[in-house]
Amino acid sequence: MTAKDVKKISRENLWFNNPIFIQILGICSTLAVTNLLTNTFIMTVGVTFVAAFSNLTIAFMKEWIPRKVRMIVQVLIISFYVIIVDILLRAFLPEISKSLGPYVGLIITNCILMGRAEAFAQSNPPLPAFWDGLTSGIGYMWVLMAIAFVREFLGFGTLFGIPVAPSWFPQWTIMVMAPSAFFLLALLLWIAKNRMTGGKA
Amino acid sequence: MKKDSILYTVVFSFTVTFLFVFLLAIANESTSGIVQQNQELARQKAVLLAMTVPFKTDEEVRTLYGSIETVEKEGVKLFKGSQAGKTVYAKEFRGSGLWGTITGILAVDESVSQIVGIQIVTHNETPGLGGRIADSWFKDQFRGLKVKNGKILVTYGAEAGSGRANKEEGIADGITGASRTSQAMDAMLNNELTVLKKLLGGSK
Repeated sequence: MTAKDVKKISRENLWFNNPIFIQILGICSTLAVTNLLTNTFIMTVGVTFVAAFSNLTIAFMKEWIPRKVRMIVQVLIISFYVIIVDILLRAFLPEISKSLGPYVGLIITNCILMGRAEAFAQSNPPLPAFWDGLTSGIGYMWVLMAIAFVREFLGFGTLFGIPVAPSWFPQWTIMVMAPSAFFLLALLLWIAKNRMTGGKA
Repeated sequence: MKKDSILYTVVFSFTVTFLFVFLLAIANESTSGIVQQNQELARQKAVLLAMTVPFKTDEEVRTLYGSIETVEKEGVKLFKGSQAGKTVYAKEFRGSGLWGTITGILAVDESVSQIVGIQIVTHNETPGLGGRIADSWFKDQFRGLKVKNGKILVTYGAEAGSGRANKEEGIADGITGASRTSQAMDAMLNNELTVLKKLLGGSK
């Protein structure tokens, strides 16, 4: 992997081919977990970890995987890492594990993971695949964190659970609920697309 | 063996699945002790918190929990402690929430006329919505909540967060956007209060 590849993959995944902005993948979790920064952070770290290692594993094994069962094997590897994340959280971060509840298990269904496995890891060497998974996860993370920042601040008047808004600040109930994520995501998509195309879309 | 032959595919799938599941089993086995300890500690903490017993370290939790008396009434296990000179009873409760079972601890005074505190031990409610039953703002509403005619009320639906909450009247605020969970909490707690009242024979 050359320095040029590293840069190209990062640029693609963080911005020009961002999983949320361009590929519109992983939207369920974008809507569901982004009302608290802490939950969003842990969950996206989980996705990043799983994306990086499942890509790495798949790229290592790709020569031996028969084409017919390719996707089943990808899902197997992805779920393996998700369960590992779940086990680690339960053992070492019980509080977080408790507040994330079912969302850890649902990382399996995040389309970004299958998308990267199929689009990149299947046809690239392990190291670039690892880097691709990692940067895809980070590309996903920063967009979700941006949404969570707005939602937690307006919805609860807090950031990472720390009260920051003055006491007279009215809390926007809509921001706590899923619909607000639709509005915010759409706004973000609009802004991002505009920047990418210079307003000529 | 050809890579696309059926035999290779079957053998490969079997081997890979076996390998990964085996690794998971090892990971699960090696952490199960810690997980169990965590769960037990969380449960003990919940009992202490519900009964408003202050503690700082995990060590303290174990000793304080050890000093709580357990009594059995009609086959139901109750924790008996005292707080500010008054006897406090606590009971584990469980019931169904929106997605799964909610378990927790409910502590009441001797005559079941007031809730001392509640704690949630496990739940699978939606994070950020129903999951907020485990947040302190929600649980703290039950500290000293009066039980009126053997009942309390957790508001839900349009009434949640409408400012009806009133400790003297036995009304706690439900969670906006989590009506089913709030409703479940209301049903569960009232159910427990009825059971406790029967067991403790509070006459008032």
